[in-house]
Amino acid sequence: MAEIPKPKSSSASVWKDRLLSHEMILLYVLIALWVFFYFAGTTVNRRGVVVGFGTLDRQFDILRHSCEIGLLALALTPVIITGGIDLSVGSLLGLSAILFGSFWHDAGLPIPVAIALTLGVGAVAGGLNGALITQLKLPPLIVTLGTYSLFRGLAEAITRGSVTYTDFPAGFLFLGQERLLGLPAQAWLFFAVAAAIWLLVHRTTFGRSFRAIGFAPEGARYAGLPVDRRVASAYVIAGVIAALAAIIYTARLGQAKADAGTGYELFAITAVVLGGTSIFGGTGSIYGTLIGVAAIAVLKNGLACLPAVMRMNAAEEISGLLTGALLLLALTAGVLPRHWAQWRARHPARAG
Amino acid sequence: MSPALLELRRLAKSFGGARALRGVDFELRAGEVHALLGENGAGKSTLIKIVTGAHQPDSGTIAVAGTPVADLTPASARALGIACIYQQPALFPDLSVAENIALRLESGAGARRVDWRARRERAFTLLNRIGAAISPEAEVRSLSMPEQQLVEIACALGAGARIVIMDEPTASLTQKEQHLLFAVVRDLRTQGVGVIYISHRLEEILALADRVTVLRDGESVGTHPIAEIDEAKLIKLMVGREVAQIYPPSEATPGAVALALRGLGCRASGVHSVSFEVRAGEIFGLAGLVGAGRTELARILFGLTPADAGTIELGGRPIAPQSPQEAVAQGIAYVPEDRRRHGVVLDLPLAPNMTMAIHRRIFPGTWLRPRAERDLALGYIRDLAVKCTGPEALGGSLSGGNQQKVSLARWLATQPRLLILDEPTQGVDVGAKSEIHRIIRRLAKEGLAVLLISSDLPEVLGMSDRIGVMRGGTLAGTLPGGADAPTVMALALGQAA
Repeated sequence: MAEIPKPKSSSASVWKDRLLSHEMILLYVLIALWVFFYFAGTTVNRRGVVVGFGTLDRQFDILRHSCEIGLLALALTPVIITGGIDLSVGSLLGLSAILFGSFWHDAGLPIPVAIALTLGVGAVAGGLNGALITQLKLPPLIVTLGTYSLFRGLAEAITRGSVTYTDFPAGFLFLGQERLLGLPAQAWLFFAVAAAIWLLVHRTTFGRSFRAIGFAPEGARYAGLPVDRRVASAYVIAGVIAALAAIIYTARLGQAKADAGTGYELFAITAVVLGGTSIFGGTGSIYGTLIGVAAIAVLKNGLACLPAVMRMNAAEEISGLLTGALLLLALTAGVLPRHWAQWRARHPARAG
Repeated sequence: MSPALLELRRLAKSFGGARALRGVDFELRAGEVHALLGENGAGKSTLIKIVTGAHQPDSGTIAVAGTPVADLTPASARALGIACIYQQPALFPDLSVAENIALRLESGAGARRVDWRARRERAFTLLNRIGAAISPEAEVRSLSMPEQQLVEIACALGAGARIVIMDEPTASLTQKEQHLLFAVVRDLRTQGVGVIYISHRLEEILALADRVTVLRDGESVGTHPIAEIDEAKLIKLMVGREVAQIYPPSEATPGAVALALRGLGCRASGVHSVSFEVRAGEIFGLAGLVGAGRTELARILFGLTPADAGTIELGGRPIAPQSPQEAVAQGIAYVPEDRRRHGVVLDLPLAPNMTMAIHRRIFPGTWLRPRAERDLALGYIRDLAVKCTGPEALGGSLSGGNQQKVSLARWLATQPRLLILDEPTQGVDVGAKSEIHRIIRRLAKEGLAVLLISSDLPEVLGMSDRIGVMRGGTLAGTLPGGADAPTVMALALGQAA
């Protein structure tokens, strides 16, 4: 019988491919940004104290503030790999925060029980998305656009637009405001979820199915994969993680309010796509998402530390602009080789 | 004599390794209805696609009204007066007839005021020309299928079409609607239009056409005036080839009944009252024309469109798969017709492609086991001689035949009781084709029950131990393995042999 030929590519070219992968290039950009801000964004103030981007305190602050959007990005990665989208995670964060506050404050439940119930709400909300998408065959974009408004509306209805829950016990606020083993406490939770989702996407049959469904939904069905169940599970997981993000958000700010997490879904989607996950499904990785989250966080916080930007008082605007530019650049760089190849195929003479 | 309206000389076209056309000559005169006849895959569609500019021929010449044309594109074909009317009219259902005609005929350059009266009048004139009593203001949605086809024909005439191609125009028409269409076709003929008429219905061709050209295996086997020919001769022309390929001999010793269908049907997919049995170790071929219900039957067995009538027994146990998962769990494997969309995930490597249907067995506890997966993939790559750079190669990087082997490997890995093969060698080069045939034989010898769906008649004849012929969604008859092509074709066409 036929011998298996050795792969033609040498190990050197395999390494070249790896070092030039989307995720690695983004990592280089991230490192370059970091180094730039380290030198341009660190200053010594009048009292001779080093302030700005280069301080350890600021670095931890960036990490602390990235956890919620980071969690939503982790939640969205499996969904987007299946070829879907979930616009409702930011609103679900708000609804979960309110319900958590209500479970604790109004119902008088202990914090751990309130947390467990909130995660359950996240699962049910994600299940609603999943059921509408798989059972009624509605497009994910429209379904989650609907629940995006629904969840936020519910949160506002429960609080009548005015109630905010505060005065959480110190033990709970520790999770959002203190350090544990040197790092912000919530960072440990974020890393744990990242590890779990990494295992799910890269090491289990779930992740394998997500990919197959993302690449070829019909092909996955023809292979006898439980397509509907797998897709629904991605949305349920996203809901649970969004609820967890709500807990961390509440612990960080010390209050639960209905507008918590407004607009976070768009930052999270940006991070995921920036990290190389294809919005068309199939391709994507958790490390890419993590680098994407870090790149956005560094860009946003680093800009705020630049003296020139501080004088203009426009850190938000400029970071939005640059994040958008970076995303479009990454997307363009991703498709250019293919377009170039097609153009060359069509015009063999001109390409010489 | 004036030159022919359309003249094709030694037209050839290959797709990958498959030669779809091997030097076809064809001539269409003005005022003629010229029928094009041939089995599935004889090259009719390729010929039409070349004439309408969708495909470029590899070699050969095309002349329209005596003038040679090169580099035909869809736009230049239209400009030369070539129009094609498909089975399913491609009109905008929410717009009126006049608007639909206007969309085809008015050039889109620049913004102008819409002259509604001119639009209505033009639609009225064109519809009148073909004697169609359709109001220009009617919404297309409200029209019947043949009325929509008439609108298409009106569009074609409005664009100055001299060559009208009709691809199976009557496939979805009632008897009465057909007569309406035929009247228009005859009318076109008197107006000097040349009509290329494609149909599987022999009686239709004999009633309507002036001449008929029969294609077989990408070659023209002759053009005949309709007066000199009859149904029997046509069938013989269509199938009358020498067996060009040697098929491995059957070594089957059929065992117990593996699959038994009784009165199986599914209204949604147009299949009804199908009954037959397949034994373990037996290759049961399913022949029939495209649309006869063979793939639909496979989809019922595989749970893609669950049955609503009759029973399925697999290994003596009644089953009623409601989804592919259930079908797979019960031991049914389906190698689908559309390899690139359903058979292989092109963007995934071979190893995950091959383990896709056996996740539960090879990955108990849901953790992936890359080494076990790789070993299994290497095993099938060797066993089925898949030409690739290794288990990491992407599905899309393989040739059609090797992709088909990957699809086959995925299903063999499930260790099924019943293997359904839907067009297993379509678009596969000759070498891989005979390899796949040997694999199928071997599987049958090992005791697998095989349901072989194929539009390649010699393949069905050469490979099958028994042959079921389908027509109109049901089994028209069962023939022994040694049946000859005209008998099968006569059953498939619904003619008395």
